[in-house]
Amino acid sequence: MADLSIDLAGIKSPNPFWLASAPPTNTGYQVQRAFEAGWGGAVWKTLGDPIINTSSRFAAVHFNGQRVAGFNNIELITDRPLEVNLKEIYETKKRFPDRAVVASLMVEPKREKWHEIVKRVEDVGVDGLELNFGCPHGMAERGMGAASGQQPDLVESQTYWVKEVARTPVIVKLTPNITDITVVARHAAKGGADAVSMINTINSLAGVDIHTWNTIPHVGGKGAHGGYCGPAVKPIALSMVAECARDSRVGIPISGIGGISTWQDAVEFMLMGATGVQVCTAVMHHGFRIVEDMIDGLNNYLDEKGLASVTELTGKSVERYSNWGDLNLNYKVVARINTDKCINCNKCHIACEDTSHQCIDMLTGADGKAILKVREEDCVGCNLCSIVCPAEGAIDMVEVDSGEVPMTWNERQQEIARLNGSHSEAEVV
Amino acid sequence: MSAFEEFDKERREIDELLFKGYHVAAIREDLDGAKVTFVMGKPDKGQVTLLLLTADARKYIVTRYMEGKRANA
Ligand SMILES: Cc1cc2nc3c(=O)[nH]c(=O)nc-3n(C[C@H](O)[C@H](O)[C@H](O)COP(=O)(O)O)c2cc1C
Repeated sequence: MADLSIDLAGIKSPNPFWLASAPPTNTGYQVQRAFEAGWGGAVWKTLGDPIINTSSRFAAVHFNGQRVAGFNNIELITDRPLEVNLKEIYETKKRFPDRAVVASLMVEPKREKWHEIVKRVEDVGVDGLELNFGCPHGMAERGMGAASGQQPDLVESQTYWVKEVARTPVIVKLTPNITDITVVARHAAKGGADAVSMINTINSLAGVDIHTWNTIPHVGGKGAHGGYCGPAVKPIALSMVAECARDSRVGIPISGIGGISTWQDAVEFMLMGATGVQVCTAVMHHGFRIVEDMIDGLNNYLDEKGLASVTELTGKSVERYSNWGDLNLNYKVVARINTDKCINCNKCHIACEDTSHQCIDMLTGADGKAILKVREEDCVGCNLCSIVCPAEGAIDMVEVDSGEVPMTWNERQQEIARLNGSHSEAEVV
Repeated sequence: MSAFEEFDKERREIDELLFKGYHVAAIREDLDGAKVTFVMGKPDKGQVTLLLLTADARKYIVTRYMEGKRANA
């Protein structure tokens, strides 16, 4: 059995699965039950200036029978007094000394405010702090959360103020509601952050009721923008983790968050540079016990791969995440249809004919039965047919040797520029 | 004509010129495609310009050119 324990910038936990700061970590009762189920750590529901929540807070996007493909909320930070939370944090840590208990914090961007809350929270024995610069609604209107997180200089100075007094490691949680997340991550690092976590929720409006014309969710007939999370946001979160992981100017450990529901998701985030992961929506959908499958699955995977420790996964795929301009233009894949598995639904033909390169022919086989066949020389290898195909294994994307030397777009442009004796203006980074 | 046939036609034109001993002297790309200037030997015995329209041929010509450069290096 592999070693699942991690050390995120000095915060240790027996496995890489932490609960993200959200309703599942609202109280000591909940976090302790989560730890009983096996969670390695928990980031407490954000503590900070007093708030009042609305009734009707969540909405979900169900897609074609898949419930909660995406999740939307207009909830704010904790609405319980700081002292009550601190007492429960203390009790939880005492009962589960081997688990990571991290306090998420959000106050106004004022030095003395940060100093006060950091000192009070650290006094009860948390293992680390997570600064919530990400909440996109409610708090942002008051200059906190994403409003802070969208200004790199404010992220840097607030991190710096926290680091002036913090005795435990400081994680800065980043908002995805920004053009380039690495800019903010770099400023967090400059402010002295020991790690970054990403992503918080993405600005969203879950929907509009076409019968009542109300927003979804609505509070007495009115709505406000919320934060989107759950499986739908995973690719966005993963790319943001990857961008930070491959930027040496960020250079600090990453806690991956966003749409993680399974051990496979966690492995992907770790391969792309995360030291550990945090989960919210999947737990809200299925309960704390999903961690049992996550731990078992990860253990088996590591054994199969012959890896002694989960830490060996971190960052292994980062160097494979490159720039578009450095991809080999002479690499070629084509679609091949396995007629024995094909159910002749013609979805691939329709997709290719209507929206791609018109290279899947509907033919009649020698036995008189309809068959679908790819004209490989016309296939550009876009993958669309295999994506829309509902029959497992019916379409393979097969690598073919183009016989050509590798050539990237950037190499091509440089070569043309040299040939023409001028400088290239069209390099892609 | 299929996309492959369009490319293949342009590829054959390129191969034919290279086979005859022409080499690539300039490639200028604009909204209309790639204008490739081929010249014969040194001193220039002749000049031919091809306007390549297909993306595959625009890729192919630079690949050939790079291969040629590597072979002569
Ligand atoms: C209802 C709800 C409340 C949340 N509250 C907080 C919060 O108080 N502090 C915080 O940092 N993130 C908060 N989040 C964001 C989550 O911690 C997490 O970053 C986000 O949901 C993405 O993870 P997921 O896709 O696993 O849900 C909240 C998310 C939800 C759904």
